[in-house]
Amino acid sequence: MPEGAEDAFIAALKAAHPDLVEEAVILRQKRVSVVAKREGLLELARALRDEFGFVHPVSAGAVDYPKENRMQMIYYLMNPSSRFTLMLRVNLPRDDLVLPSMTQVWEAMSFHERETKEMFGIDFEGHPNLVPLLLPPDWRGGYPLRKDFKGEGAPT
Amino acid sequence: MTEPEIKPDIMRISWGPQHPMSGQTRILLDVDGEKVHRIIADLGFTHRGIEKILENRTFLKGIIPIERMVMVDTANIGLGYVLAIEEALGVEVPERANWIRSMLCEMTRINSHLYAFGLQAEATGYFPAVFLWTTIDREVLLDLMEKLTGARWSYNFFLPGGVHHDLPEGFQEEVLEGVDYLRRRFQQYWDAMVENATFEMRCKGVAVLKKEDAIRLGATGPVLRGSGVDMDVRKDEPYAAYGDLDFKVITETAGDSMARLKVRFHEIEQSLNIIEQVANEIPGGPVKTRVPLFARAKPGEVFSRVETPRGEMGIHLFTDGGMNPYRVKINSPTLRNMYVFERLAELDEILVADLTVVINSIDPWYLDSDR
Amino acid sequence: MFTTLWNWLVNALFGLPGAIWRFAVGFLTWLPGALLRLPGWLWRFLWINFKPLMQILILPGLAFILVFAIIAVWFERKFLARAMLRVGPYYCGKRAGLLQVFADFLKLFMKEIIIPYDAERAFFTMMPVLVPTLPALALVLIPFDQNWVLFDAGSLSLPMFFAIAGLAPLIPIFTGWAANNKYTAIGGFRVAFLYISAEIPLVICAAAVAIMAGSFDLVKIVEAQRDMWFAVPQFIGFVIFFLGVIIEAERTPFDVPTAETELVLGWRTEFSGILFGFTMMAEYVAFQAWALLFITLYLGGFNGPDIFGSTMYSHIFWLLLKFAILVPIIILLRCVFPRLRLDQTLRLGWYYLTPLAVLNLFIVLALKLWGVA
Repeated sequence: MPEGAEDAFIAALKAAHPDLVEEAVILRQKRVSVVAKREGLLELARALRDEFGFVHPVSAGAVDYPKENRMQMIYYLMNPSSRFTLMLRVNLPRDDLVLPSMTQVWEAMSFHERETKEMFGIDFEGHPNLVPLLLPPDWRGGYPLRKDFKGEGAPT
Repeated sequence: MTEPEIKPDIMRISWGPQHPMSGQTRILLDVDGEKVHRIIADLGFTHRGIEKILENRTFLKGIIPIERMVMVDTANIGLGYVLAIEEALGVEVPERANWIRSMLCEMTRINSHLYAFGLQAEATGYFPAVFLWTTIDREVLLDLMEKLTGARWSYNFFLPGGVHHDLPEGFQEEVLEGVDYLRRRFQQYWDAMVENATFEMRCKGVAVLKKEDAIRLGATGPVLRGSGVDMDVRKDEPYAAYGDLDFKVITETAGDSMARLKVRFHEIEQSLNIIEQVANEIPGGPVKTRVPLFARAKPGEVFSRVETPRGEMGIHLFTDGGMNPYRVKINSPTLRNMYVFERLAELDEILVADLTVVINSIDPWYLDSDR
Repeated sequence: MFTTLWNWLVNALFGLPGAIWRFAVGFLTWLPGALLRLPGWLWRFLWINFKPLMQILILPGLAFILVFAIIAVWFERKFLARAMLRVGPYYCGKRAGLLQVFADFLKLFMKEIIIPYDAERAFFTMMPVLVPTLPALALVLIPFDQNWVLFDAGSLSLPMFFAIAGLAPLIPIFTGWAANNKYTAIGGFRVAFLYISAEIPLVICAAAVAIMAGSFDLVKIVEAQRDMWFAVPQFIGFVIFFLGVIIEAERTPFDVPTAETELVLGWRTEFSGILFGFTMMAEYVAFQAWALLFITLYLGGFNGPDIFGSTMYSHIFWLLLKFAILVPIIILLRCVFPRLRLDQTLRLGWYYLTPLAVLNLFIVLALKLWGVA
């Protein structure tokens, strides 16, 4: 990969979709972080897949920031030709945890979204089979990876 | 897991967790006679909440639980976390420590691949002979690793800032002997498995994963490389000493179960080469820099990637200035490959008899996918 | 009428002591001689009247089956362990581990028999008992000598063997259904597929043998091989039958119906305790019956040089020796081959074995017509 490919990518992304991108930074070499606007997430994801070659989904997960009253959903993507990792992020207020499902763009996000749903309680609209992945089907203990999780039995 | 509905004229088999070959998972199979129509993986039987556990431990203490994720491959998994901590703390690692890390990682890689061969041989209905041969040959590696680290697995040998201690006296010679022995044995596995006509009948052309499908479905590791994509973190983003070492990324173009097996075979050859190089050319110097026991990382985030035998593992470490990580996201390779496995029934015709072959060609480790 | 009865009574009463005396004298004079000759009599009695009983109890019967099963299980464990770089059974019965088989058998006897709630109880408990019975029935037709055939069906013996053996797949199918488990059901149907694909080439091969021998009688077939074993002119048939025996005995690489890594234990999955023991034994009994038929048809049966002075004993010896050589070969195949898939096994049966068996039949017909054989 040539030097400065990350900069070139960010410039191209901002030029092509200025209204969808909230923020784009390079964390370090081969690590690009893009924060998407919540309403334009699906559109940006399609653009990333079709125009920028991020066809290889890696993973997805979330981080809980109760002090700022938000959660951040992160999609880890990979471009098989330039080989750098893109973290597509989107911020959500903690009282409105609904996102469009990325399975419409990257089919393999299915497992990761199921996991995020059971661990953080983020709902994914349009997911074909949003059942718990790792937790037992009769789990009533809340969302374990949230910061305010106290243990099984504690209400959410 | 709530079970999806069954189509008419289809029988649903619950394959595992009480099944001789299933491991700690349950797989629901919709079969029509011998043909598998749909695979539904029901994971989570070994979920321990490692990500949550790590949030409640200091950086150093977190190395212990995270190495429990994959027992045959503790070095690579542990290294991923250690690299993330080092980047977050801004620690420099001495040259010699990096080479020792590479050597131990390649040893566990061989260990893990040998285990995978054994299971694959057993999956095809080979009498467990090959499995026991691999078990005995892994003993050579385990002895070496015990000599180096003091434990047969779960070493806790990699610490932020280097490795725990230097190579013991005369260790390089023993490593070279072990490499020679494994090279000789390697030929035997090649004859017993790849060259065996019956074994070839069982594995060749089974569950073909095309290149574009492998990329689209997020496959990783030998599954991805068996489909002809030369992605390997060791080459793409060299960590430890891989930038200085001479090795090739193995790819096969066929994309079937045999190709995945062959990738592992050739990766063992490469790993043996790497170990040999390290034993011959390891530079001198210190093996660790001092890191405070209760180090505090400045707020921020770090994403580190390592190549484990099952594929790329990413660790996303969020820090908030405290002694513990704020959040650790582990991108486990098995979870990604399990999704590929679920979809394989639609991509290619799979029979009930092929199922064990296919799932062992993915080489799953359920403690890894469940975390 | 009354006078006649009265006279008889008086005579009888007065004549009784004399009669008793005469009887006692006669008995006492007879007894020493009789005692002296008793063993000979008993032996002759047993030999003439109870030879079938001995056959049932000893040679092709119970003792042979059990001893074979024990030795075969022990051999399989011990020698496959060597291939796997293990030791195998070690502590039970000195270091050879021979008593381990008995210990396991006892254990199976004492274990609880668990019948699944949904199972068809009658079928479920009956079938394992029947499983070893059918191959054992086929075993009675095997000649160990001209005079040592448990059931000499004459010219019907070869068709009868196949008739009985053809019933065998029914039992796994019934069991698979009765256990009400999906694995057993799949296993049962696999058995049906497998046996049909294997039995047709086997029957054609057996027909070729019968044509060459000029009879369906197993004894005559063996006698026809006095000069040359049929394995030589019918080499194709020999190979086909060898594979067929492995398929019929459900041994690796054709142990598709009980494939452990796929179907747990196939149609036997739900059995426990001695019911499972019966199904395990059935595997060895079927193996035994088919291996003996294979020897009878292709490897000269009981033919062999006379070494004990008695033709019968040496015939039995030669048959058992051939058997003892053939069985380890089939057992040790397990070390080298992975299991084939069902479709591959069926393809082997239908695409390769059946046409080759027909070819073999034509070769035999040609040999017969040109008068070579």
